[in-house]
Amino acid sequence: MAPSATQQVLLSPAELSYLHTSLSLTPPIRPDGRTPSQFRPLIAETDILPGTNGSARICFADGTEAIVGIKAEVEKSRPSYQASEDQNIAEDDDDEEDEDTRRSEKEAYQKKGLNEWVEMSVEIPGFRDDDSMPVFLAAMLSEALLADGEFTRRLWINRRFHWKLYLDILLLSQPLSYPLPLLSLTTHLALLSTRLPKLKSEQDEDPLFDDDWEASVFLYPRTMETIIARPPVTLLVMAVKDSIIFDPCKEELAVAEVVLAVSVGERSQGVGGAEMDVDSGKARDLRLLAVRTIDPPSRLTPPGVPNALNTATGGTAATAEQTSTQRETLDEEGVWQPPRGGAKRKLIAAMIHKVLEQGGVAEEVLDGLEAVELG
Amino acid sequence: MTSLKRSLASDPYASNISSKVYVRSTKSGKVQKIVQELYLRQDIPCSSRLCSSCLKTAPRDASGAQAPFVLSERPAGTKGYPQGHYLVPDTNALLNALDLFEQTSAFYDVIILQTVLEELRNRSLPLYNRLIGLTKSEEKRFYVFFNDFRLETYVVRDEGESINDRNDKAVRRAVKWYSEHLTQAVKSAGGSSKKVPAVVMLSDDKENLKKAKRDGIQACSLSDYVGGLENADQLLDMISVVKEGRELRDAKAAENLYQEYFSVSKMMTGVKNGTLHQGIFNVSPYNYLEGSIHVPAFDKSLLVLGRENINRAVQGDVVVVEVLPKDQWKEPSTKIIEEETINKDENADGEDGEAVVTERERRALQEEVRKVHSKGSEGRPQPTARVVGVVKRNWRQYVGHVDEASVSQSVKQGRKLQTVFLIPMDKRIPKIRVRTRQAGEIMGKRVLVTIDSWDRDSRYPVGHFVRSLGELETKGAETEALLLEYDVQYRPFPKAVLDCLPVEGHDWKVPESTEDPGWRGRRDLRGLQICSIDPIGCQDIDDALHARPLPNGNFEVGVHIADVSHFVKPNNAMDAEASIRGTTVYLVDKRIDMLPMLLGTDLCSLKPYVERYAFSAIWEITPDAEIVNSEFTKSVIKSREAFSYEQAQIRVDDASQQDELTKAMRTLLMLSKKFKQKRMDAGALSLSSPEVRVETESETSDPIDIKTKKHLDTMSLVEEFMLLANTSVAAKIYEAFPQTAMLRRHGAPPKTNFEELGNQLKVKRGLELRTSSSKELADSLDGCVDPKEPFFNTLVRIMATRCMMSAEYFCSGTQAYPEFRHYGLASEIYTHFTSPIRRYADLVAHRQLAAAIDYEPLDASVRSKGKLEAVCKNINVRHRNAQQAGRASIEYYVGQALKGRIVEEEGFVMKVFSNGFVVFVPRFGIESLIRLRDLADTEPESTFDAENYVLKTSGSREVEVELFEKVVVRISDVKEESTGKRKVKLELVKTGTK
Repeated sequence: MAPSATQQVLLSPAELSYLHTSLSLTPPIRPDGRTPSQFRPLIAETDILPGTNGSARICFADGTEAIVGIKAEVEKSRPSYQASEDQNIAEDDDDEEDEDTRRSEKEAYQKKGLNEWVEMSVEIPGFRDDDSMPVFLAAMLSEALLADGEFTRRLWINRRFHWKLYLDILLLSQPLSYPLPLLSLTTHLALLSTRLPKLKSEQDEDPLFDDDWEASVFLYPRTMETIIARPPVTLLVMAVKDSIIFDPCKEELAVAEVVLAVSVGERSQGVGGAEMDVDSGKARDLRLLAVRTIDPPSRLTPPGVPNALNTATGGTAATAEQTSTQRETLDEEGVWQPPRGGAKRKLIAAMIHKVLEQGGVAEEVLDGLEAVELG
Repeated sequence: MTSLKRSLASDPYASNISSKVYVRSTKSGKVQKIVQELYLRQDIPCSSRLCSSCLKTAPRDASGAQAPFVLSERPAGTKGYPQGHYLVPDTNALLNALDLFEQTSAFYDVIILQTVLEELRNRSLPLYNRLIGLTKSEEKRFYVFFNDFRLETYVVRDEGESINDRNDKAVRRAVKWYSEHLTQAVKSAGGSSKKVPAVVMLSDDKENLKKAKRDGIQACSLSDYVGGLENADQLLDMISVVKEGRELRDAKAAENLYQEYFSVSKMMTGVKNGTLHQGIFNVSPYNYLEGSIHVPAFDKSLLVLGRENINRAVQGDVVVVEVLPKDQWKEPSTKIIEEETINKDENADGEDGEAVVTERERRALQEEVRKVHSKGSEGRPQPTARVVGVVKRNWRQYVGHVDEASVSQSVKQGRKLQTVFLIPMDKRIPKIRVRTRQAGEIMGKRVLVTIDSWDRDSRYPVGHFVRSLGELETKGAETEALLLEYDVQYRPFPKAVLDCLPVEGHDWKVPESTEDPGWRGRRDLRGLQICSIDPIGCQDIDDALHARPLPNGNFEVGVHIADVSHFVKPNNAMDAEASIRGTTVYLVDKRIDMLPMLLGTDLCSLKPYVERYAFSAIWEITPDAEIVNSEFTKSVIKSREAFSYEQAQIRVDDASQQDELTKAMRTLLMLSKKFKQKRMDAGALSLSSPEVRVETESETSDPIDIKTKKHLDTMSLVEEFMLLANTSVAAKIYEAFPQTAMLRRHGAPPKTNFEELGNQLKVKRGLELRTSSSKELADSLDGCVDPKEPFFNTLVRIMATRCMMSAEYFCSGTQAYPEFRHYGLASEIYTHFTSPIRRYADLVAHRQLAAAIDYEPLDASVRSKGKLEAVCKNINVRHRNAQQAGRASIEYYVGQALKGRIVEEEGFVMKVFSNGFVVFVPRFGIESLIRLRDLADTEPESTFDAENYVLKTSGSREVEVELFEKVVVRISDVKEESTGKRKVKLELVKTGTK
């Protein structure tokens, strides 16, 4: 999909070519002077909407700004045919097994949530809610959120009830660059600040909650300092030739050859894991949740005309048919050609590696987000 | 990456904006986070007359008036606070001892904080309402201070702080602010610091007191404070005993006697699933260990048997029950079990060896079970249930007397704190354990108590003494007891209500000039020959009649009703008071009016020879009693004469009287008989309830004689035309306001109600009771005659009446049209219109009719369905209470009239139990129980044939008692131990024919 409306980049083929060349240098020279993995500065705050269960706002330096509000509602679960059947099986199981473990296992199984318990809507100014861009963005964000199946489990109340979570993601500014990373980071913070009323009833009773908001529990429970698990983040990575560039701005995207949306989650660290990491300090147990290639806007840019085909410079103008065939082979330095074809596997692997590696970008981003004071 | 949190300091208004966040769970199961913004202000006055600065800034209403300052400039002092003091109670203090605050001897100048008020409302609505009443009374000087809206006294809840701690903190902050503020105020007025009244926090919370001490706030526990007052002993009794008791018990780690209640969520889930049932708990008047609960899921009530299953539920509580397994189902008992006979000699102080079920109780129950079992398959055990939780306590203040046996002799004179049992007047309420210092004093008195709690480890509820009403059997005490028991508002009308009366007072007259606005839309009916017919001595005459022949041979008949709605305008204080009172209550020697005397007995009352405003319904009626047309109008009338029923009857019967008025009455009588016949043909029931009248000496109102009411033709004359007026008005207001008309319905009784009576009639007399429609029932009741016993028919009617539903007021929008039916009157639609002086429903009907005939616009309050429903609910309750209070009053006076006399009278057996039977004596309208053990010195052996309703005794005395049998009883009076009431006692002299 081409994120079309964002990409009306008004650059001439010559400018595009210049950008392309400077980005493909090693190290690449970015228009704003950042290093390839450097993010633009951002301003973030959480708990800005008192009426919601959790909310956040992030403002990027380029002026794009997003707000995410999360509301939770108690909903009756559909009686699941599957669940009752499995329960029977579980009961028929070998009876030697310890009663307790079996119960806890059963409980763990029952706690399985359904994807429909999360509803996400993305609103972008100038787009209808059924336009492809918001729909696609919502799909990508919820895909990352639901990918590991762990998230919906947090919404389980008891066998008869669950929380239904409504994530309302709102882009406040014009979509100057592809807004996916902004929306993802904001959603991440909003989810971290989300709190649900504390349950007072037991077992399968109709849920009854503590009326004290202060007593409510975080969706992502935290110990004194750290948060045990975190919601996923989706990062935008692009490549020009072999240089891999993070957090591309609008102009950079205009010459990107490959654009990937990489969703990364952090595995919740068990007790054992934490012990192992004692000396390594901040090492995170990251895992890849989803990768999507995004059709780069550069494909829609107008191509440059090489001197050989330009009558003004003594070349011979070719027919339309000829041009397209000639372009296939043309590889003249300084003449802008929109990228063609797919991404190389090796390149994609390198990009993903760059995200996930220890001390890599994902870690840096998560560390940065951790620094945001949660309300 | 940088992060930023917007700081509140940048907001210039930050200091006076705050917010409150909480979670609200709605009924439909939604859970919402609620954020309320608070705008803190600085102009909320302290309301002390000492302060001049608040006076300047206090807000004014639209007309520029300021609420007067409440707290006295020279408040009363005590030993501890000689300079005078204001009190600031916290929530617990109010919860534990609101009765104290209602005292007139102390507790003046009290500051009720908003925090406390709101917390109290959440904890106990009845207490909250009483407190609101207190804050409204001017003489007590209670002031509600909105501390949560005032900048200086608002406190933020700290992280991890419980809401109670936060509220306590708010109370302390407010107390502190008050004392600083007052010091400042006195200083700026140039007074010396000795004049500054102390601001004293009252709390029973030790932690709170400790913190107050730390903050340098004057604080005091309730008992310490009361200890410093003059009549400390009396007042100390009013502090609820909950706390001490509990501490004591904790130390002992007493075992729990009752099962624990389910958690609220468990009950809710169960009720929703249909595994548990919710309903109002009712105790059988004959057996205090048997309760029943009607739940929507079943047609018949569920039985709750025995103390364990009743599980601390008290009459009237909303409880949740669980149905017991089938092997525990039982038949409702045919035995009378009264608390006093079984648990006679218990020691209230004795905690040891306390079991929920005493041995005797257990034996009584065993017998029951044996009987059910012996019956085998014939018996029809009914489903039984067990109380698993209480949704809402409906505890009120109970009237009763101290069980003398529970007071230890040695301390009868002393002031020692001891525990006594209080036996409530209402037999359905269990004994209440009360700790008191005044046991000696309150013995033999009618006292008012409140239940505080009922813990699992206590066999009886724990309560505290409120006040004494006076000696048992004194008229004042007994009357007040009745009024309290039936929740009748009997306090004099407050000033606000009296202010609504016309300024002319008794001199008010219908304006002479017909140009006067009072005449607008009124028809001048002063020329008509109108008269009123009422019981002897009636002062509040709300109806009058006239009839005259028309040239076409038809008659014009008018019913004129006092125009109360002219004097009682909607939504003023008088209207509010009347709607709360709902009805006038008639006791034997006393009338508690719904409206102030001036209106009820003078301005509204359609007195003879004076002009009065009226609301008239006028019909054209053919000689065959067909209505040709009807109209309604406001009018001015002048009644020619006020007759009593007897006078009217004599005049009608006297052929020599040929004046217009008498002729008109004869016409009315003739028409009324035709109307009655028509009604009867349509299936109206003529029911019966025992009615007697107590004749009292006019001076002392001591009862001298009891008479059964005689029925006169003139009574049904008035009745028929009132019914006619009510029915026509009902049709009219329903037509005008199909959604909000105030109507009255009488539901058809469910068949099961008549099962018992039908069976009894079949077995004993071979008569059949058909109940498929009111017509059928009326006919079959007519057939229930015993040629040898003329009273038998009345007896059956009395018993049939008890099987009926009670009629109720309702708002037309809440029911479908077929449900409007009045079963007893066999009328499709009915309302009450004819007694607006004594019933609020009639007043509403008046307003609606006035709007229906375009006399005046309809007020919003009688247009809103929700408000009307609330009004209906209230007046239904009031109406029933008034009836019961009236009956109880007659019962009391019958007892008094018979005091010291022994009479032999005929009676009829109404109900037979296995160990006793109920006899009804028509001459005095009394019914009473005769127990087997009353028959002879040693209780005779007995066999009870439940199928044939025959009880045979043998041994010490041989009698055979059967249902409907005529017996002769000896009536004497006796003071009932259990309730302290003087009651008639019946002794069997001989059974009828056999």
